Amino acid sequence: MTATISTTSVTPTWRRRRSARLSPLLVAFVLVPFAVESVWVFWPALQGFWFSLTRWDGMSPPAFVGTDNYVELAGDATFRGALVNTVIWLVLFGGLSVLGGFGMALVLQKERRGVGFYRAALFTPVVFSLVVTALVWRVFYQPDGIADTLLRAVGLEQLIRPWLADPQTALYAVILPALWRQIGYVMVLFLAGLKAIDPALHEAARMDGANSWQRLRHVTIPQLRGVNAVVLSVIVIDSLRSFDIVWSLTKGGPYHSSELLSTYMYSTAFQSLRLGYASAIAVVIFVLALAVILGYLVRAFREEA
Amino acid sequence: MSDFDPGRRRFLGHLGLAGLGALGASSFLSACASSASGPTTGNGSGAVTIQSNLSSPQAKAAMEKLIANFNAQGKGTASLNTIASETFRTQLPTYLTSANPPDLYTWYAGSVANDYASKSLLLDVSDVWKSLGDYPQSLRTLSTDASGKQIFVPMNNYWWGFFYRKSNFAKWGVQEPKTWTEFLALCETLKGKGVPPIGIGLGDTPWVASAWFDYLNIRINGAPFHRELLAGKQRFDDPKVKAVFTRWREALPYFDPKGKAYPFQEATTALLAGKTGMFLIGTFFADAAPKDALGDLDFFRFPIIDPAVPLAEEAPTDGFFASAKTANPTGTKALLTYLSGVEAQEAYVKASSGIVLPANPKAKASDSPLVVKGKAMLDEAKELTQFFNRDSSDALQPTADTALTKFIDKPDQIDAILREWQAGAEKVFKG
Repeated sequence: MTATISTTSVTPTWRRRRSARLSPLLVAFVLVPFAVESVWVFWPALQGFWFSLTRWDGMSPPAFVGTDNYVELAGDATFRGALVNTVIWLVLFGGLSVLGGFGMALVLQKERRGVGFYRAALFTPVVFSLVVTALVWRVFYQPDGIADTLLRAVGLEQLIRPWLADPQTALYAVILPALWRQIGYVMVLFLAGLKAIDPALHEAARMDGANSWQRLRHVTIPQLRGVNAVVLSVIVIDSLRSFDIVWSLTKGGPYHSSELLSTYMYSTAFQSLRLGYASAIAVVIFVLALAVILGYLVRAFREEA
Repeated sequence: MSDFDPGRRRFLGHLGLAGLGALGASSFLSACASSASGPTTGNGSGAVTIQSNLSSPQAKAAMEKLIANFNAQGKGTASLNTIASETFRTQLPTYLTSANPPDLYTWYAGSVANDYASKSLLLDVSDVWKSLGDYPQSLRTLSTDASGKQIFVPMNNYWWGFFYRKSNFAKWGVQEPKTWTEFLALCETLKGKGVPPIGIGLGDTPWVASAWFDYLNIRINGAPFHRELLAGKQRFDDPKVKAVFTRWREALPYFDPKGKAYPFQEATTALLAGKTGMFLIGTFFADAAPKDALGDLDFFRFPIIDPAVPLAEEAPTDGFFASAKTANPTGTKALLTYLSGVEAQEAYVKASSGIVLPANPKAKASDSPLVVKGKAMLDEAKELTQFFNRDSSDALQPTADTALTKFIDKPDQIDAILREWQAGAEKVFKG
């Protein structure tokens, strides 16, 4: 009894002393990365906000124009198109890669003969650089290429069109290769999550007479909540930064029909040399990403509390 | 289960946020643009650095040879730095504004060079021009900035035209057209034979369409109007500009529909394989052509539409300008003097496979029939234009790409397209 009392009374002072004298190693671990991040990430990001309030061609000094760039953004039809395309991209690319990745993970989670081969096959596209992926798909889409040959072989030649040059199909023709790659990546994330579920839970559910759909709905999915946060972050970030595959396949064209916010930002900055306006687009991208992810995190924490 | 306790989840959440920071859409921009990464160069009497975008194998080898020759002469030393052309284009403003820039750059004459000159970024090379007294006045004017000093030294130029295979024209039994009417008749004949008459390559290289706009405009409205339009002194929604598209529309049905999807290199392959009849393109396209096909190539000038309009041709001029901040202006000018000389220009023409005309009037061009014909066509012209982006700016080019590819797809919407083009151009001119 006395022993317990003395421990409880001692512990707080000991804790206080320890927090007052932080270990130098700990300080170094916090401050050094913070200093590096400040120079390479925080400072340029803040500068980006400043540039979004200026008119700047990259050569003469930036001239402050207030919120002119944002006012122009509000009336810019190309920007609106890029915004809509980015939302389409987020929904299709994000949604389908989650569905596809989760489905593949479910199918391939059981250790069976040859399952390693299928997992590897699905993961292979992730290994390629997106620019290489784009080159491969360009061959697929080119006039009289593999896509056209396949359609002709099954008698659907009336569907043939210049896939990447037709404003009706360009965006979707670019989403497909991006998905082809992303599904393998998301699958690996979900596989890791599925492996971490305690088999005893499934065992118990089965004992209680739950069928496989009920086990998926009430055991597997709730257990994956931690992975979902990661997958969502990855999906949102990957969608908003999707640039390389679009740029190497269509450059946002024909006439802005496959333009995303990221490609519009790039062409505004480095082709039109309107760096202030491009910074304003960058700020919008940043706010969008933050809003989606913060929204999810806040909800996740509220559920926890 | 314990793998996903709240602490770890929070950690992963933060990871996501950190990823966001790294994505740093805005940081990416400003990091590239504000911290000018100046290549290490230029110490007083040291080697003159040439930043070159001539990255195709033959052109690169030709430049290397020129620099080796210059170094062997003992008038100074130079070192060549060859950069992929797209990187070069986007980085050029950064090079020029950096604290310690490379000395000399390959680039284009005309409005693009004058733009940099107006920002005091280019070295006054009037000294070099003192020894170039026999250069034609047109090239001197082209190399002179608004304040009257020379800021550019031309190396060579080339021409655009309708290229075709002689053997194919003979097989189809057709002749070169001279006028627009004859041209349309030729298209009709070829179409009747099942050949798409006009090749084009807009996938990945949409700027190729600007050649059509340039030529129709200088044939219908003349070169002075064209230059004013591209300088922002005329409007793209002017009825005179619409007239260009009315003409263009007459030829639209004869364009190869596949041309929208592939780049000009593949359009070249299609032309050589006889899958298209002819192709409006600059001579650089021959770089992508096999050697044995070169002898079979011929071209005709863009057909005359209004004989009253003074004859103008596109003749993009390549050459050099130097940074105003060079630490070694004497060495840089010595190198420029060497490069503009007969010996260097002939050596370049010989070593590079491209069909180009040397800028120095005393230097001999290749004596192939194609080059002789091209030179005669340019000599006959009253006015020379450069090309859409060279007569305006690289910043205006994307507005043209959007407008022209859209017109080719949806010619009915021409009025809306021209309004959008004007709005886009105004943004570019405003900066």
